[in-house]
Amino acid sequence: MNSIQNSNKAQPVISNIFGFIVHHPKTLTLLSLCLMAALLSFLPNLTKDTRGDAFIAPDNPALIYREKVKQQFGLADPLVVALVHDQPNGVYQASVLQLVATLSEQVSLIDNVDPERILSLATENNITGTSDGLDVDPFFEPFPETQNDSDRILQAIQDFPLYQGKLVARNGQATVIVIEMLDENLAQETYHNINDLLASTVTPEGLSLHLAGEGAVAGYLGSYIDSDASRLNPLAGLIITLIIGFAFRRVAPAILANVIIAASVLITLSMMAASSTPFYVITNALPVILIGISVADAIHIFSHYYELQSRQPEADRVQLVQESLEEMWRPITLTTLTTMAGFFGLYFASGMPPFKYMGLFTALGVAIAWLFSMVFLPAAMAWSKPKVSQAFIELQASADKDMFASLMTALGRASLTHAKKVVVIGGILMLVGGYSASQLIVDEDRIKTFHPSEPIYKADRLINQHLDGSNNLDIVIETPNIEDLFKLENLKKMEALQEYALSLPHVNNATSIVDYLKQMNRVLNDGDKNQYRLPNDSNSVAQYFLLYTASSDPTDFEEEIDYDYQIANIRLNINTAAFTDNRPVIEALEEYIAQQFNNTEITATLSGRVTLNHHWIKDIGTSHFNSLAVAIVLVWLVSSLLFGSSLAGVFSVLPVASSILLIYSAMAAMDIRLGIGTSMFASVAIGLGVDFAIHTLDRIRQQFRNLANHQQSVGEQEINAKILEIFPTTGRALLFNFLAIACGFGVLISSKVVPLNNFGTIVALAVTTSFLASVTLLPALIKVFKPKFVFGDLHIVTRPKAAEVRTAAGNRLLSLAPLAAALLIGPMLLSSPMAEAQTDELPSGDWIVNKVNSMDDGHQVTRNLHMTLIDRRGKQRVRNTVGYRKYFGDDKRTVLFYLSPTNVKDTGFLTYDYPAEKTSEDDQWLYLPALRKVRRISASDRGDYFLGTDFTYEDIKKEGKLDINDYRYVTQSEELLHQHNTYRIIATPVNETVSKELGYSKVELWVDQKSWLVVKANYWDVRNNPLKTLIAEDVRQVDGIWTRHKMTMSNHKTGHTSKFVFSDVDYQSSVKGSVFTKRSLSRGR
Amino acid sequence: MRTSLLLAALLPLSLSPHILANEWSASWQHEIAYENDDLQKNQSQLQLEWNHSPAENLELTAIARLAWDSESELYSSKSHPDNYSDWNTSLTRGAHGEISLREFYLDAEWFGAYWRIGKQQVVWGQADGLKVLDVVTPQSFQEFILDDFDDSRIPLWMLNVDIPLNDDNTLQLLWIPDTTYHELAEAGTAFEITTPLRTPQPPANTLITSVDLLAVDKPDHWFKDSDVGIRWSSFVNGWDLTANYFYHYRDFAVLYQELDGQQLTVKPEYQRSHLIGFTASNSFGDYTLRTEAGWYSDSYHLSHTLSEGKSRQGVKHSEEFSSVIGVDWQGLTDTFVSVQWFQSYLLDYDSSIARDQHQQTLTLLAERNFANETWTAKIQGQYSIKQQDQLWRFKLTHTLLSNLDIWVAADSFFGDDEGLYGQFSERDRVLVGFEWGF
Repeated sequence: MNSIQNSNKAQPVISNIFGFIVHHPKTLTLLSLCLMAALLSFLPNLTKDTRGDAFIAPDNPALIYREKVKQQFGLADPLVVALVHDQPNGVYQASVLQLVATLSEQVSLIDNVDPERILSLATENNITGTSDGLDVDPFFEPFPETQNDSDRILQAIQDFPLYQGKLVARNGQATVIVIEMLDENLAQETYHNINDLLASTVTPEGLSLHLAGEGAVAGYLGSYIDSDASRLNPLAGLIITLIIGFAFRRVAPAILANVIIAASVLITLSMMAASSTPFYVITNALPVILIGISVADAIHIFSHYYELQSRQPEADRVQLVQESLEEMWRPITLTTLTTMAGFFGLYFASGMPPFKYMGLFTALGVAIAWLFSMVFLPAAMAWSKPKVSQAFIELQASADKDMFASLMTALGRASLTHAKKVVVIGGILMLVGGYSASQLIVDEDRIKTFHPSEPIYKADRLINQHLDGSNNLDIVIETPNIEDLFKLENLKKMEALQEYALSLPHVNNATSIVDYLKQMNRVLNDGDKNQYRLPNDSNSVAQYFLLYTASSDPTDFEEEIDYDYQIANIRLNINTAAFTDNRPVIEALEEYIAQQFNNTEITATLSGRVTLNHHWIKDIGTSHFNSLAVAIVLVWLVSSLLFGSSLAGVFSVLPVASSILLIYSAMAAMDIRLGIGTSMFASVAIGLGVDFAIHTLDRIRQQFRNLANHQQSVGEQEINAKILEIFPTTGRALLFNFLAIACGFGVLISSKVVPLNNFGTIVALAVTTSFLASVTLLPALIKVFKPKFVFGDLHIVTRPKAAEVRTAAGNRLLSLAPLAAALLIGPMLLSSPMAEAQTDELPSGDWIVNKVNSMDDGHQVTRNLHMTLIDRRGKQRVRNTVGYRKYFGDDKRTVLFYLSPTNVKDTGFLTYDYPAEKTSEDDQWLYLPALRKVRRISASDRGDYFLGTDFTYEDIKKEGKLDINDYRYVTQSEELLHQHNTYRIIATPVNETVSKELGYSKVELWVDQKSWLVVKANYWDVRNNPLKTLIAEDVRQVDGIWTRHKMTMSNHKTGHTSKFVFSDVDYQSSVKGSVFTKRSLSRGR
Repeated sequence: MRTSLLLAALLPLSLSPHILANEWSASWQHEIAYENDDLQKNQSQLQLEWNHSPAENLELTAIARLAWDSESELYSSKSHPDNYSDWNTSLTRGAHGEISLREFYLDAEWFGAYWRIGKQQVVWGQADGLKVLDVVTPQSFQEFILDDFDDSRIPLWMLNVDIPLNDDNTLQLLWIPDTTYHELAEAGTAFEITTPLRTPQPPANTLITSVDLLAVDKPDHWFKDSDVGIRWSSFVNGWDLTANYFYHYRDFAVLYQELDGQQLTVKPEYQRSHLIGFTASNSFGDYTLRTEAGWYSDSYHLSHTLSEGKSRQGVKHSEEFSSVIGVDWQGLTDTFVSVQWFQSYLLDYDSSIARDQHQQTLTLLAERNFANETWTAKIQGQYSIKQQDQLWRFKLTHTLLSNLDIWVAADSFFGDDEGLYGQFSERDRVLVGFEWGF
């Protein structure tokens, strides 16, 4: 009691705060609940994002390039229906082939299935030779009715190597229907519809149907996670309720703890919804983590409250609630801050959005739990005045009778008795762990997200077993000129690349236009197998394409080559999605391409799902160690500040650091790979595990601070006794805290989402070891080294002199501990990409802007502009205009006439734009045909939207030039964007006035290094919210001047989009000065 | 009649394949106005525009209008009202509609000048809805001032030449042989003028048993009675400036009266005037200033000086000075607010004149666009300071498709019967309509 009274006197402000809370119990309880209810209103807006691409930052060049490839060749992540027969060549039966046709037809009727993009034996064409050239006919013409028809198709496929292994298994045991979706965001629904169709299909004997593919994975994962979450979260809540009920033998603590859990989890999810952050695959772990953490605060407060009540059964319970909070607020706040620091580590160090947001929002959830524990809990306790159970009082009265208290005391006694041994063992374990960490292997396989018993998992394995592989790696071949891909040398290079790719492990098929040309060459040479090769000259190539086009649909090759015969795609089929398998393939291909391609004549770039996955998975290791390092530093920093001692910071970190190193050893020994699930364990383990250390350190320190109030020195025996005193109380509370968290995470072990399962297992292990290290290693360390931050001014009376010498040495050693920690963490940080020094100096923003502004945009220009304005519901309005621009000295005059539709026809807009050095404002006029009048309009509203578009008047007037006086430009990086080598620049308005005038607080610009045109821009509004994105496409030279022919401005706030397409751009024809007059404006020409 | 012939000649021409290859556009507008549960207007209007460029620097434009109204509340039943010249006539017209060649002109660039020859509209001045210099083209007041200006102006046959002097200076010359003037609402239609400011009133204590309205003595000579105008436009230091001179017949007929016992004879005549004026406008930050002023050498006003037995009574002559100062504000995104102050001052005022020496009107226009200009809400007000009567107009327009606008609107008049607006205080109306362009 003395200590409490002392602390009361020392902290009048805190005392007043908690006094206020416990004396307004109803108001604050209800206010807290209302706050929770109000914030929950956002929850229904929470969206899910289970795409693999979600792990990559949206502006990642690899992702952007992949999107471009998708658009160019229309390649989407498909759903794959496999028809597998138990006999070789079993699919070549009329009944099976008919089913292929039926299913292809039925699938095409399902919503969101792109009927034009279904690939199966029933949809594909065979190429055969005829007396007058080529014949391109469907394989299913005539329709397979008899075994003879089936045999004919078997023969046709065997004569057409392209489809073997890709469309039909080489042994004829399986065939696939590849289905693409119109909108991949609707994958879940589409997956279920196709699944239902397959379930209701009657199959011929010996045939089974399976559904897999990346499209199916994305589609199924959503509902898979839902069902997992709806099972896990109530289970975690139930287990925790039971543990609390058991610890206190009362229902009230369990109910109140559940309110705190609900507040923490639900408000956090609501905040995610409010900030438009989606619920990712791994976010499923967030509620469970928060359940474990938020309950800890309630356990500690109730533990202390009941302890006080059992000691003073007659005391005013409201007063006891206040006293409990005054005593416990500090360690609870400390642990909250250190836990948040741990999760911020994940946020700061991870580049992958799911991890980043996991870190950020878990930290937020922890803060919410703290707030509710500090306000709602005492208010609700003061209102309900929970009474301690008799059983608890009895336990308190005879601490040694409680199994848990006895256990903890025994543990404490053992560690204090063998203090030095504990320290040495701890040190050895850390060294072994440090070595093991370097042996960790990064690996990830998306299909392994599913439990092996899942049909989708089995289907994937089956498809990869029978066919050449369901995983695609695309190689995009680009040439500088139209029809360059008619050139034989280019085709030969592609052929060589394909052959090289096929020599690599797991690559079972490579398809490109080369294969079609070979097949055409063969059939044109009487089907001679030896003629399955490229034709002899480029002319023949052109003729083959012409012949093919004459015989069939010219869009047949749109997946392989572009319309201009300038860009082609080579698609590799790989039978594994595992990172460790694909990495050598990608590295070998990259090396080959660097040697054989990427000159001025031809370039090759890797893309496709496999490349993209490789791209982000390779960063998992770096991301993991970075977030670990940042978390450790943050936790150390926060603990150091809170305890007022850097050594205390090291003590706080040591138990968790040692437990993590121990886990590394276990992972290396058990061959557990570092993947999506496992990589974030370290930050979570630090955030959770550090609590034990903080509570232990704080209570031990408090013990000696209290002692210092009565005496000036302390002996060894007394140190042991004082430390041991915390074990039946704080130790017991920590044990239940640990059990709650371990069981909470233990629930994840039952998760069917495999990465979550791994994550739960490892975190549960890490928390266990952290707990054990906190209650064993820390007391031992304190006993051995007697740090000043624990003992303060207490004089330590030691027995023999030798021991004194050792203690002094120990103190010196420990005084070096922060340095040691820095040395340990430093190399980790230095080896991370974040810390890599920028060696290539980037040009300054102003230099780039000058370059942009100095690019020739023609003395004059005439052009047609077709505007399409699309609202958020997809409703379109179109406008056609003709525009002229001409320089008059430094002045620029622009005029735009609307040609259609009728309701805006003849509207005209004229601008005189003066150079910045002229002080006069620009002049603008608008001609409104309804008034038949040229109207002078204000030119100051530069940030207003131009006649209903998403471009502002300033955007229109500047025509892509950048105002050096309006913004400060800072070059950020060099990036590959849509095949443009660009500089990324951040432009910040020079002051608030300009910012308000323009309507932007920041602009992010990508300037193409070749044309010096802005090819992309992101705009933020004055409140710094994302506002608009501009994408410029179809950039090409007209009369020697680089010109953007298509500009799309999307407004993220309104969902409105404006597409500007320029045509008939002409810089040569003379434009009369008289066009830029009010007379001309009013006459509409 | 001559116009009818011309239109008849044009129609087969327009169907020839060569011309069909040219630019056509059309709009169909339908508007329904309700007034006290009655339909005031249920009008469909089809406007066809044809542009043809027979050679470089030559372009021919023809705009034809077919209007039909199921009601006959608004329009004159005459096939050729008196205010129109013989040249300026409809193919057919009546109380239920008309078919007319609205505009028909040739644009040409000859001798370094820009010529527009034919039937056309010319708008002078900077003011919105208030006429100081905007007197070149007369107007139809059959729907008072509620109809769109573009529709209510009466295009005239004229010669219009723009002569660029240099980059910033232009001289415009107008010669208007077409002797067509304002068309007023016919007696018995909804917007017949009754205010004493515009209609002759018998002297107090005089009983009038019959009013004889004589046919208007209308100028009709294509040369002798033609109007001429000249306008010099300049752009100086950001200012748009014009100086205007117009020698013309005033568009309102002067209503000379003669009292003979209990018989009042009204004899309308058109009178000439010189108009000298200027306009100036410029923008300053979010504000745009628009001003115009004009001096008329001759203006005629109804007066209470009707003596028995004398001719050409009841009207006083004066010089008149009018001006408008308008300020537009665009300080708020998607919002346009405009206020105008109009004043007219008679330099030779006489207390017998029915109107005040100094007349002032305030106007307000506030317009706001929403959702990328697919919705527009507009409120317009006109307030006469002396009479304190007002006109308020509201309109909400939605662009449903690229080429389809729909709207709802309301017009409301306030004030007593003697005021220009107040006289229609029983004519409040709500409207719905659409315009489809194709």
